[in-house]
Amino acid sequence: MKSRHLADQETADKWEVQLRKGCLELAILATLWEGKRYGLEILRRLESDSDLIVSEGTVYPLLSRLKSLGLIGSEWVESDAGHPRKYYALTPAGKQRGCEMAGMWARFSSSMAKLLAPLVRGK
Amino acid sequence: MNIPEDAKQKTESYLAKLRAQLRGFDNQQVAEIVAELRSHIMDKLAIPGDAVSAAQVDAALAALGSPEELASQYITDNLLARAEVSRSLLPLLDGLFRWASLSVAGFFVLVGSVMGYFLGMVFILVAVLKLFHPQTAGLWLLHDSTGDPELSFRMGFGSSPPGSRDLLGWWIVPLGLLAGCALVTLTTRFALWCTRQYRRSRALPRT
Repeated sequence: MKSRHLADQETADKWEVQLRKGCLELAILATLWEGKRYGLEILRRLESDSDLIVSEGTVYPLLSRLKSLGLIGSEWVESDAGHPRKYYALTPAGKQRGCEMAGMWARFSSSMAKLLAPLVRGK
Repeated sequence: MNIPEDAKQKTESYLAKLRAQLRGFDNQQVAEIVAELRSHIMDKLAIPGDAVSAAQVDAALAALGSPEELASQYITDNLLARAEVSRSLLPLLDGLFRWASLSVAGFFVLVGSVMGYFLGMVFILVAVLKLFHPQTAGLWLLHDSTGDPELSFRMGFGSSPPGSRDLLGWWIVPLGLLAGCALVTLTTRFALWCTRQYRRSRALPRT
Protein backbone atom coordinates (compact mmCIF):
# COMPACT_ATOMS: atom_id res chain seq x y z
CA MET A 1 0.00 0.00 0.00
CA LYS A 2 2.85 2.27 0.95
CA SER A 3 4.76 1.50 -2.28
CA ARG A 4 1.61 2.32 -4.28
CA HIS A 5 1.45 5.68 -2.53
CA LEU A 6 5.12 6.32 -3.34
CA ALA A 7 4.57 5.40 -7.01
CA ASP A 8 1.61 7.81 -7.20
CA GLN A 9 3.71 10.54 -5.61
CA GLU A 10 6.51 9.89 -8.10
CA THR A 11 4.07 10.14 -11.03
CA ALA A 12 2.72 13.43 -9.65
CA ASP A 13 6.27 14.76 -9.22
CA LYS A 14 7.19 13.85 -12.80
CA TRP A 15 4.06 15.57 -14.08
CA GLU A 16 4.95 18.71 -12.12
CA VAL A 17 8.51 18.68 -13.54
CA GLN A 18 7.16 18.40 -17.11
CA LEU A 19 4.72 21.22 -16.44
CA ARG A 20 7.51 23.51 -15.21
CA LYS A 21 9.81 22.66 -18.11
CA GLY A 22 7.09 23.51 -20.59
CA CYS A 23 6.91 27.12 -19.49
CA LEU A 24 10.64 27.84 -19.16
CA GLU A 25 10.87 29.69 -22.49
CA LEU A 26 7.99 31.99 -21.55
CA ALA A 27 9.46 32.53 -18.08
CA ILE A 28 12.81 33.62 -19.57
CA LEU A 29 11.10 36.07 -21.93
CA ALA A 30 9.14 37.39 -18.93
CA THR A 31 12.31 38.01 -16.89
CA LEU A 32 13.50 40.34 -19.67
CA TRP A 33 10.25 42.28 -19.95
CA GLU A 34 11.38 45.09 -17.64
CA GLY A 35 14.81 45.47 -19.17
CA LYS A 36 18.11 43.84 -19.99
CA ARG A 37 19.65 41.24 -17.70
CA TYR A 38 22.67 38.95 -17.78
CA GLY A 39 22.54 35.15 -17.41
CA LEU A 40 23.00 34.86 -13.66
CA GLU A 41 20.46 37.65 -13.05
CA ILE A 42 17.93 35.77 -15.16
CA LEU A 43 18.58 32.60 -13.16
CA ARG A 44 18.17 34.46 -9.86
CA ARG A 45 14.99 36.15 -11.04
CA LEU A 46 13.56 32.75 -12.02
CA GLU A 47 14.44 31.44 -8.57
CA SER A 48 13.05 34.39 -6.64
CA ASP A 49 9.88 35.15 -8.61
CA SER A 50 8.77 31.71 -9.71
CA ASP A 51 9.13 28.12 -8.65
CA LEU A 52 11.28 27.49 -11.70
CA ILE A 53 14.61 26.49 -10.26
CA VAL A 54 16.46 25.32 -13.33
CA SER A 55 20.03 24.22 -13.79
CA GLU A 56 22.51 26.77 -15.08
CA GLY A 57 23.51 24.43 -17.89
CA THR A 58 19.95 24.59 -19.20
CA VAL A 59 19.47 28.34 -19.25
CA TYR A 60 22.55 29.42 -21.23
CA PRO A 61 21.92 27.11 -24.24
CA LEU A 62 18.27 28.19 -24.19
CA LEU A 63 19.29 31.85 -24.24
CA SER A 64 21.51 31.03 -27.22
CA ARG A 65 18.53 29.40 -28.99
CA LEU A 66 16.22 32.36 -28.27
CA LYS A 67 18.89 34.63 -29.69
CA SER A 68 19.20 32.48 -32.85
CA LEU A 69 15.44 32.77 -33.26
CA GLY A 70 15.70 36.56 -33.05
CA LEU A 71 13.57 36.78 -29.91
CA ILE A 72 16.33 38.30 -27.81
CA GLY A 73 19.46 40.30 -28.56
CA SER A 74 22.67 40.60 -26.57
CA GLU A 75 25.47 43.01 -25.85
CA TRP A 76 28.63 42.91 -23.73
CA VAL A 77 28.78 45.48 -20.95
CA GLU A 78 31.75 46.21 -18.67
CA SER A 79 30.89 45.70 -15.00
CA ASP A 80 32.20 46.85 -11.62
CA ALA A 81 33.04 43.22 -10.88
CA GLY A 82 36.08 43.53 -13.15
CA HIS A 83 34.84 41.40 -16.03
CA PRO A 84 32.35 42.06 -18.85
CA ARG A 85 28.89 40.55 -18.73
CA LYS A 86 26.64 39.53 -21.60
CA TYR A 87 23.30 41.28 -21.24
CA TYR A 88 20.16 40.06 -22.98
CA ALA A 89 17.15 42.13 -24.01
CA LEU A 90 13.91 41.38 -25.81
CA THR A 91 13.75 42.25 -29.50
CA PRO A 92 10.44 43.52 -30.97
CA ALA A 93 9.78 39.93 -32.18
CA GLY A 94 10.54 38.65 -28.67
CA LYS A 95 8.12 41.14 -27.11
CA GLN A 96 5.43 40.06 -29.54
CA ARG A 97 6.08 36.35 -28.92
CA GLY A 98 6.11 36.95 -25.15
CA CYS A 99 2.75 38.75 -25.30
CA GLU A 100 1.23 35.99 -27.44
CA MET A 101 2.50 33.26 -25.11
CA ALA A 102 1.37 35.17 -22.01
CA GLY A 103 -2.10 35.62 -23.56
CA MET A 104 -2.33 31.90 -24.31
CA TRP A 105 -1.14 31.10 -20.80
CA ALA A 106 -3.73 33.44 -19.22
CA ARG A 107 -6.61 32.01 -21.28
CA PHE A 108 -5.54 28.44 -20.63
CA SER A 109 -4.98 28.88 -16.90
CA SER A 110 -8.26 30.79 -16.51
CA SER A 111 -10.29 28.03 -18.18
CA MET A 112 -8.41 25.34 -16.25
CA ALA A 113 -9.02 27.23 -12.99
CA LYS A 114 -12.78 27.03 -13.60
CA LEU A 115 -12.56 23.33 -14.32
CA LEU A 116 -10.33 22.63 -11.36
CA ALA A 117 -12.19 24.78 -8.83
CA PRO A 118 -14.20 21.85 -7.34
CA LEU A 119 -11.01 19.80 -6.96
CA VAL A 120 -9.20 22.66 -5.24
CA ARG A 121 -12.17 23.24 -2.88
CA GLY A 122 -12.33 19.54 -2.09
CA LYS A 123 -8.71 19.54 -0.93
CA MET B 1 38.77 38.74 -5.91
CA ASN B 2 41.57 36.34 -5.10
CA ILE B 3 41.40 33.23 -7.26
CA PRO B 4 44.10 30.60 -6.66
CA GLU B 5 46.10 29.49 -9.67
CA ASP B 6 44.82 25.90 -9.53
CA ALA B 7 41.22 27.15 -9.49
CA LYS B 8 41.92 29.27 -12.58
CA GLN B 9 43.48 26.27 -14.28
CA LYS B 10 40.46 24.13 -13.43
CA THR B 11 38.11 26.72 -14.93
CA GLU B 12 40.19 27.11 -18.09
CA SER B 13 40.50 23.33 -18.46
CA TYR B 14 36.69 23.03 -18.23
CA LEU B 15 36.22 25.79 -20.81
CA ALA B 16 38.83 24.24 -23.13
CA LYS B 17 36.99 20.90 -23.03
CA LEU B 18 33.71 22.66 -23.76
CA ARG B 19 35.30 24.62 -26.62
CA ALA B 20 36.55 21.37 -28.19
CA GLN B 21 33.04 19.85 -28.06
CA LEU B 22 31.18 22.82 -29.54
CA ARG B 23 31.14 21.56 -33.11
CA GLY B 24 28.89 23.24 -35.60
CA PHE B 25 29.35 26.73 -34.21
CA ASP B 26 31.61 29.24 -35.91
CA ASN B 27 34.69 30.56 -34.09
CA GLN B 28 32.97 33.78 -33.03
CA GLN B 29 30.00 31.90 -31.54
CA VAL B 30 32.31 29.54 -29.66
CA ALA B 31 34.38 32.46 -28.33
CA GLU B 32 31.21 34.21 -27.18
CA ILE B 33 29.79 31.10 -25.44
CA VAL B 34 33.09 30.50 -23.65
CA ALA B 35 33.44 34.17 -22.65
CA GLU B 36 29.88 34.22 -21.29
CA LEU B 37 30.43 31.08 -19.21
CA ARG B 38 33.75 32.42 -17.91
CA SER B 39 31.94 35.60 -16.86
CA HIS B 40 29.21 33.49 -15.22
CA ILE B 41 31.78 31.47 -13.25
CA MET B 42 33.51 34.68 -12.11
CA ASP B 43 30.16 36.03 -10.91
CA LYS B 44 29.42 32.82 -9.03
CA LEU B 45 32.79 33.05 -7.30
CA ALA B 46 32.46 36.74 -6.45
CA ILE B 47 32.21 36.64 -2.65
CA PRO B 48 33.46 39.97 -1.25
CA GLY B 49 36.48 39.76 1.00
CA ASP B 50 36.88 36.02 0.78
CA ALA B 51 39.50 34.05 -1.07
CA VAL B 52 37.98 31.54 -3.48
CA SER B 53 38.39 27.93 -2.44
CA ALA B 54 38.86 25.00 -4.79
CA ALA B 55 35.56 23.58 -3.51
CA GLN B 56 33.71 26.71 -4.62
CA VAL B 57 35.18 26.41 -8.10
CA ASP B 58 34.21 22.74 -8.23
CA ALA B 59 30.66 23.64 -7.17
CA ALA B 60 30.40 26.41 -9.78
CA LEU B 61 31.55 24.07 -12.55
CA ALA B 62 29.35 21.19 -11.33
CA ALA B 63 26.32 23.49 -11.47
CA LEU B 64 26.90 23.91 -15.21
CA GLY B 65 27.13 20.14 -15.79
CA SER B 66 29.98 18.32 -17.50
CA PRO B 67 31.49 19.99 -20.61
CA GLU B 68 30.06 17.15 -22.74
CA GLU B 69 26.54 17.58 -21.32
CA LEU B 70 26.67 21.33 -21.68
CA ALA B 71 27.98 21.12 -25.27
CA SER B 72 25.25 18.59 -26.03
CA GLN B 73 22.62 21.07 -24.78
CA TYR B 74 24.07 23.88 -26.89
CA ILE B 75 24.15 21.63 -29.96
CA THR B 76 20.57 20.35 -29.58
CA ASP B 77 19.24 23.86 -28.87
CA ASN B 78 21.10 25.13 -31.93
CA LEU B 79 19.68 22.25 -33.96
CA LEU B 80 16.12 23.12 -32.89
CA ALA B 81 16.64 26.81 -33.68
CA ARG B 82 18.04 26.01 -37.14
CA ALA B 83 15.20 23.59 -37.85
CA GLU B 84 12.68 26.28 -36.89
CA VAL B 85 14.09 28.89 -39.26
CA SER B 86 15.03 26.57 -42.15
CA ARG B 87 13.16 23.74 -43.88
CA SER B 88 16.35 22.34 -45.40
CA LEU B 89 17.44 18.83 -44.41
CA LEU B 90 21.14 19.63 -44.41
CA PRO B 91 21.25 21.80 -41.26
CA LEU B 92 19.16 19.19 -39.47
CA LEU B 93 21.44 16.32 -40.49
CA ASP B 94 24.49 18.40 -39.69
CA GLY B 95 23.15 19.04 -36.18
CA LEU B 96 22.23 15.38 -35.72
CA PHE B 97 25.77 14.29 -36.68
CA ARG B 98 27.22 16.65 -34.08
CA TRP B 99 24.75 15.53 -31.43
CA ALA B 100 25.50 11.86 -32.24
CA SER B 101 29.19 12.46 -31.60
CA LEU B 102 28.37 13.49 -28.01
CA SER B 103 25.53 11.28 -26.91
CA VAL B 104 24.19 7.75 -27.27
CA ALA B 105 20.66 9.16 -27.64
CA GLY B 106 21.90 11.37 -30.48
CA PHE B 107 23.52 8.37 -32.15
CA PHE B 108 20.28 6.38 -32.19
CA VAL B 109 18.27 9.36 -33.44
CA LEU B 110 20.84 9.86 -36.21
CA VAL B 111 20.73 6.18 -37.23
CA GLY B 112 16.90 6.21 -37.28
CA SER B 113 16.83 9.47 -39.24
CA VAL B 114 19.40 8.35 -41.81
CA MET B 115 17.43 5.14 -42.37
CA GLY B 116 14.16 7.07 -42.73
CA TYR B 117 15.66 9.60 -45.17
CA PHE B 118 17.43 6.86 -47.13
CA LEU B 119 14.23 4.84 -47.58
CA GLY B 120 12.29 7.99 -48.48
CA MET B 121 14.89 8.95 -51.07
CA VAL B 122 14.85 5.40 -52.55
CA PHE B 123 11.05 5.62 -53.01
CA ILE B 124 11.39 9.00 -54.74
CA LEU B 125 14.33 7.90 -56.89
CA VAL B 126 12.61 4.72 -58.07
CA ALA B 127 9.46 6.71 -58.89
CA VAL B 128 11.48 9.16 -61.00
CA LEU B 129 13.60 6.44 -62.69
CA LYS B 130 10.45 4.54 -63.67
CA LEU B 131 9.82 7.33 -66.19
CA PHE B 132 13.17 6.63 -67.86
CA HIS B 133 13.28 2.82 -67.44
CA PRO B 134 9.63 1.78 -67.63
CA GLN B 135 10.38 -1.92 -68.21
CA THR B 136 12.90 -2.51 -65.43
CA ALA B 137 12.57 0.12 -62.65
CA GLY B 138 10.11 -0.34 -59.78
CA LEU B 139 9.31 -2.53 -56.80
CA TRP B 140 10.03 -6.08 -57.86
CA LEU B 141 9.29 -9.48 -56.36
CA LEU B 142 12.38 -11.65 -56.82
CA HIS B 143 13.41 -15.11 -55.72
CA ASP B 144 16.76 -15.60 -54.02
CA SER B 145 19.09 -18.59 -54.56
CA THR B 146 17.04 -20.75 -52.15
CA GLY B 147 13.81 -19.86 -53.91
CA ASP B 148 12.47 -17.62 -51.11
CA PRO B 149 10.61 -14.52 -52.33
CA GLU B 150 12.09 -11.08 -51.56
CA LEU B 151 11.14 -7.51 -52.40
CA SER B 152 13.63 -5.30 -54.18
CA PHE B 153 13.67 -1.70 -55.35
CA ARG B 154 15.20 -1.75 -58.83
CA MET B 155 16.54 1.43 -60.35
CA GLY B 156 16.13 0.04 -63.87
CA PHE B 157 19.77 -0.62 -64.71
CA GLY B 158 20.36 -4.05 -66.25
CA SER B 159 17.76 -6.60 -67.21
CA SER B 160 15.19 -7.99 -64.82
CA PRO B 161 16.07 -11.39 -63.26
CA PRO B 162 14.19 -14.42 -64.59
CA GLY B 163 11.02 -15.28 -62.69
CA SER B 164 10.75 -11.80 -61.17
CA ARG B 165 7.67 -9.60 -61.29
CA ASP B 166 7.10 -5.82 -61.20
CA LEU B 167 4.56 -5.50 -58.37
CA LEU B 168 3.25 -1.97 -58.85
CA GLY B 169 3.88 -1.11 -62.50
CA TRP B 170 3.19 2.58 -63.19
CA TRP B 171 1.61 2.94 -59.74
CA ILE B 172 5.15 3.19 -58.35
CA VAL B 173 5.29 6.77 -59.71
CA PRO B 174 2.49 8.34 -57.62
CA LEU B 175 2.82 5.89 -54.74
CA GLY B 176 6.63 6.19 -54.62
CA LEU B 177 6.54 9.98 -54.64
CA LEU B 178 3.82 10.01 -51.98
CA ALA B 179 5.53 7.43 -49.75
CA GLY B 180 8.94 9.08 -50.23
CA CYS B 181 7.73 12.58 -49.32
CA ALA B 182 5.75 11.17 -46.37
CA LEU B 183 8.81 9.30 -45.09
CA VAL B 184 11.06 12.37 -45.37
CA THR B 185 8.46 14.53 -43.56
CA LEU B 186 7.83 11.95 -40.84
CA THR B 187 11.57 11.40 -40.33
CA THR B 188 12.11 15.15 -39.86
CA ARG B 189 9.27 15.27 -37.34
CA PHE B 190 10.66 12.23 -35.56
CA ALA B 191 14.16 13.75 -35.33
CA LEU B 192 12.85 17.07 -33.99
CA TRP B 193 10.49 15.34 -31.55
CA CYS B 194 13.39 13.26 -30.20
CA THR B 195 15.55 16.37 -29.92
CA ARG B 196 12.85 18.23 -27.97
CA GLN B 197 12.28 15.24 -25.69
CA TYR B 198 16.01 15.03 -25.05
CA ARG B 199 16.21 18.74 -24.27
CA ARG B 200 13.27 18.50 -21.89
CA SER B 201 14.70 15.45 -20.17
CA ARG B 202 18.01 17.27 -19.72
CA ALA B 203 16.45 20.53 -18.54
CA LEU B 204 16.24 19.15 -15.05
CA PRO B 205 15.37 21.51 -12.26
CA ARG B 206 17.86 21.68 -9.43
CA THR B 207 16.53 19.95 -6.35
